[in-house]
Amino acid sequence: MKIGRVHSWKKVLAQLLLLALPTVILFFYLLWNLNRFYTILENEWLKQGCYFMVGIVIATVFYAWRFRFITTVALLVLIYFGIYHYVGSITVGEFDAFYLSVQFIVFIFLFSAGWLAGFGFSRSKYFTIFWSVLLLTVQIVVVSKTSDIKVNALISAFAPVLAYSFYIIYTAELIRNMNEDETRFSCFIIKRITGFLLVMLVMFLVIFNFFKSDFKAIEKEWGNAQANYDKGNDKKENMNQTDAHGNMSNKDQTKLSGSLSKDKQLVFVAKLDNYFDDGKTPNPLYFTSCYYTKFDTLTQTFERDSLMPYNDLFEPDVSRIPLYFAKSDSVVIKNTFATKNRKVVIADVYKVILPPSKYMAPSTGFFCQPMSVPREYKEQYKSSYRAKMWVSELNSAYFVYNPAGNVQLEKFQELRFQKLREVKKIAGPDKKFMDYYTFMPRNAEYKKITELARKVTANSPLPIDKMIAIRDYFLSKDEYKQPLFKYSDNPGIPGLPSANKLTYFLFENRKGYCAYFAGATLFMLRSLGIPSRVVAGYLTVDRSSKNPGWYWFYANQAHAWVQVYFQDYGWIDFDTTVPDVNTQQATQPDGTPPSNMPQTYLVADGEVINVDTTKKQIQMSVEKLLYHDKDFLPSGKREILTDVSIATITADTGAVKLSSLKKGMHITAVSFAEILKNILPDKKDNLEAVVNRLPLPVPIDEVKVMSKEELQKRNKKKEEAVGEPIDWIKAGWVVLLVIAMLVVLLFLSPWFIWQFLNAKAGSVNSQKAYNSYRASLYYLNQLGYSRDNKGPQEYAYSIDLKFGSEFSQFSSLYQKVKYSSQPLSESDISTINEFYKPFIKLVRGKTKWTIRFSKFLNIYNTIHYFSHPKLNS
Amino acid sequence: MEEQNVQLEQTLGNIQKLVDNVETVIRGKRMQIQYVLTALLAKGHILMEDNPGTGKTVMAKTLAKSIAGIQGGEASFKRIQFTPDLLPMDLIGSHIFDDVKKEFVFKKGPLFCNLLLADEINRASPKVQSALLECMAEHQITMGETTYPLEKLFFTIATQNPVEMEGTYPLPAAQLDRFFIKIYFGYVDEDTELNIYKDYLGIQNNLDTIKQVLTMNEILFLQQQTEKVFIHDEIITGVRNIVRDTRKHPDIVLGASTRSGITFLKCLKAFALVNGRTFVTEDDLNQLTSAVLEHRMIFRNKEAKQKALAGILSKELDRLSRLKITTNANTYAQSPL
Repeated sequence: MKIGRVHSWKKVLAQLLLLALPTVILFFYLLWNLNRFYTILENEWLKQGCYFMVGIVIATVFYAWRFRFITTVALLVLIYFGIYHYVGSITVGEFDAFYLSVQFIVFIFLFSAGWLAGFGFSRSKYFTIFWSVLLLTVQIVVVSKTSDIKVNALISAFAPVLAYSFYIIYTAELIRNMNEDETRFSCFIIKRITGFLLVMLVMFLVIFNFFKSDFKAIEKEWGNAQANYDKGNDKKENMNQTDAHGNMSNKDQTKLSGSLSKDKQLVFVAKLDNYFDDGKTPNPLYFTSCYYTKFDTLTQTFERDSLMPYNDLFEPDVSRIPLYFAKSDSVVIKNTFATKNRKVVIADVYKVILPPSKYMAPSTGFFCQPMSVPREYKEQYKSSYRAKMWVSELNSAYFVYNPAGNVQLEKFQELRFQKLREVKKIAGPDKKFMDYYTFMPRNAEYKKITELARKVTANSPLPIDKMIAIRDYFLSKDEYKQPLFKYSDNPGIPGLPSANKLTYFLFENRKGYCAYFAGATLFMLRSLGIPSRVVAGYLTVDRSSKNPGWYWFYANQAHAWVQVYFQDYGWIDFDTTVPDVNTQQATQPDGTPPSNMPQTYLVADGEVINVDTTKKQIQMSVEKLLYHDKDFLPSGKREILTDVSIATITADTGAVKLSSLKKGMHITAVSFAEILKNILPDKKDNLEAVVNRLPLPVPIDEVKVMSKEELQKRNKKKEEAVGEPIDWIKAGWVVLLVIAMLVVLLFLSPWFIWQFLNAKAGSVNSQKAYNSYRASLYYLNQLGYSRDNKGPQEYAYSIDLKFGSEFSQFSSLYQKVKYSSQPLSESDISTINEFYKPFIKLVRGKTKWTIRFSKFLNIYNTIHYFSHPKLNS
Repeated sequence: MEEQNVQLEQTLGNIQKLVDNVETVIRGKRMQIQYVLTALLAKGHILMEDNPGTGKTVMAKTLAKSIAGIQGGEASFKRIQFTPDLLPMDLIGSHIFDDVKKEFVFKKGPLFCNLLLADEINRASPKVQSALLECMAEHQITMGETTYPLEKLFFTIATQNPVEMEGTYPLPAAQLDRFFIKIYFGYVDEDTELNIYKDYLGIQNNLDTIKQVLTMNEILFLQQQTEKVFIHDEIITGVRNIVRDTRKHPDIVLGASTRSGITFLKCLKAFALVNGRTFVTEDDLNQLTSAVLEHRMIFRNKEAKQKALAGILSKELDRLSRLKITTNANTYAQSPL
């Protein structure tokens, strides 16, 4: 049996190169993107892309012959089924079977997608439209699943697919209509596609130019996108590593400490100004990095969620705030909903290997002021900042970590419980908040957790008692007087890969590290309807009696615990992790703390106007002033006289002499002088008033000279900082506008083409007859009188019959011009020259404008005009 | 040259008159008349197929009466009704013993005429069919040792009946090839039919009193001039494309031959003249393609017969219609007629 061909080899080649190849490239990109969000794909996007590629290539070539779709697909399904059974029969062990079957299903899915695409490109006329819509839908689903929706994510998700959609619909149509006998077909198609790409390019350029200012912000985000991808890589490594250990992955853990391993590297040092009521005993607090408010059941991962209601996480980029200038966010305080037993606490953090941009403070931080590290400690600490927090007096690391029988602490605890017992009922600010923080997955596994939680807290009516009951449950002993739960860094994995690790931890293994305890506690609390969340950060250990208030943080102190919401008291830390006997006993070496950071009262930023080396005074302009942690901006030019007799003057290169300061240099002057302490600014004060109140000359302790580069960098940062809050609603509008413009352009394209042809017809040249004829033909075609299969004369007669025109006369003359070698007579030439305009006018006059308008802008007519008839139609 | 041009103008005018003249009898069939004349001018023959009673025979008769013979009379017109028992001799003629001369003399058969109507050609045996078709192709008859040329103007109108196919010998494709054009006569439209009924006596009268519009010489002259009709390179390319497309088309089992292509070109030129033009246009291509090519090809099925050629033609017309005006580099181009 000989099977006939549908497409020639030439056409198949064109399909492979121009349709399949871009599709495969796009798929590689999509799969790469998907792999970042779905662990089930195992990060094998290259392999998966190849599955798709093989599918599409085979199908494209295969369907170039006259094969039926249904029968061939049925056969394919049969083959799948056979292989699936075969694979099932040769694999040994549940795990292998599970792994292989998942992989095989992924393969089947991708291969079939490729197969379908190949068939569609080969045979179906409307497939590309359907395909584009499908891909866009997939992208929408993927984007909606991602945790952080940003403009760059939106653009990187949609721009390639949109561009691809335009391209594929256009090119598929081009190939479908291709004239296979055209000897210079490749030349033709290259010409067309180049034209198309140019049009796209011009369109995008115009749009980008038009919305330049809006896109600038987006462009900047693109720069940052790199960092996000890096983060993705981090996650990957982390995930792989933890998976190998059978741990629950804790995505940002890597970012916190470098790795999950029990590393003794120093991460940062902090001085925390938090003391018990006696004012002497330091009260350490856990340092919060971020909140995990979402749990992905599929991958068993706790995640951050940008959709968190009432975001109370203050996350400034510390490296972007100019030295000594502060950034604060009062919304954070508002979002804590805490009014009782709260106070403002100050912490000075000295970074060692903490990333420069990272901000870390006990909850709830709201203020950040980068400080300079004293020169003698520059080697030890990279940078430092001062943080202010809205801290609950009921929080203490002593409680959350290890009460350990200390009488004073137990007394404090009891006090704290008494306070919290005032909260009689579970309540939050609103329903949205409650729904969000008490959400838990519903299935049998979680039901078991609920039952356990109910059992454990059966005798505890108040929320705080429930919390204590849960903590006690983790600390309880079994019938052999052995601790029920043990701490372990390598708790092992359940036998079945898909099994729930939390229930495994709670009911079988009972070994785990902080994330297990925190996670289990979280779901026990949530199952009781108590709003709670997991916190990632560092636990604080007070080991030093020498330096009260100073704490050292090592990599192995990275920790996760729970925060519970109590009405009016806000989020309170609770730690249910049982003590790890091993690490508790090994004390860490504490270093000597850097000298206390003095309180800065005044920071002035400006240019040097005059330097008096004898009096050691500098006259400087003030461009920006920070006074008692309040920012002031001058309304006009303002100068102050400063006394720098005791000041250390530093530049990037090190200490410099006063005499080297020149007029016009940019300096930052800092004062720690005690006399400024009591000159407090009023709320209403502006910069003028503050400066007027200052004692002149103002005593200055530190002068920092800005180099030009630094100044530029700072200005740039400022610019960026201005553009930083990207209004992605606005960006969304821009995208919508762009799409709308494209649509309008598409709709108006018949008219543009008409204008083009019309203009050509008007010009006088040797091709005039041709141009006039084509323009008339186009005009008539747009009005619904297409020539189709009619011969020119036949068509002309039918038009004349309709409009009473003289089209046939012109048409026959045109044929004469085109196909005969006879010269035209004078009258013939004048007929040709004077035909076009009156004809169009006549036709226009005889068609109602509403019909004209609606038909004229019908793009199908235009496509019909330009499409070539098919041989097989 | 000048003189010839004047003569051409006149005869072109006369062709129009001839068409009008025939149309007084065969009403509403202008297209068919033009096809018949095209075949005549292209020195070919025509095959008409349709149901009985559509006017095929009358058409042939009228045409014969409209052409003036060389010696003043009308062109000689013969009609042969083909039957299964017809023998080649009945067409060609035979040697008969002459008592006086005591030798065999050749008695010419009905083929020696100007206009031959071969009615129901598919009823005769293949032997007869091939004899006729050979004569049509060779324009001469060979009997024994002697060769007898046919008349200078020899034009066959063959008809066949698509109904009643029992006991017929359908013409094989190779022989159908000899007919330049095959047309379907078809019924007239309703208005014309009403007119015909109202005036059926008039038609008979018209047939009797039909005028002689063209002389045989003029026809011969036109046949000569047909060769000189200007044909643009792109039209020739178009013919080439169409012929080649028929060979590649999946629904066509047997495509058109190169000879068909040549015939096509001849017909195009003749058709242009019949339409009063001295150059070939897209319209000619449009109207002739199926008439000239369809009967030479074998289609996969009935549906394909209706669509395949139309598709090929519309593709080619599309190409031509988009074509810009080019100056012709045709080497066959003659100076304007």
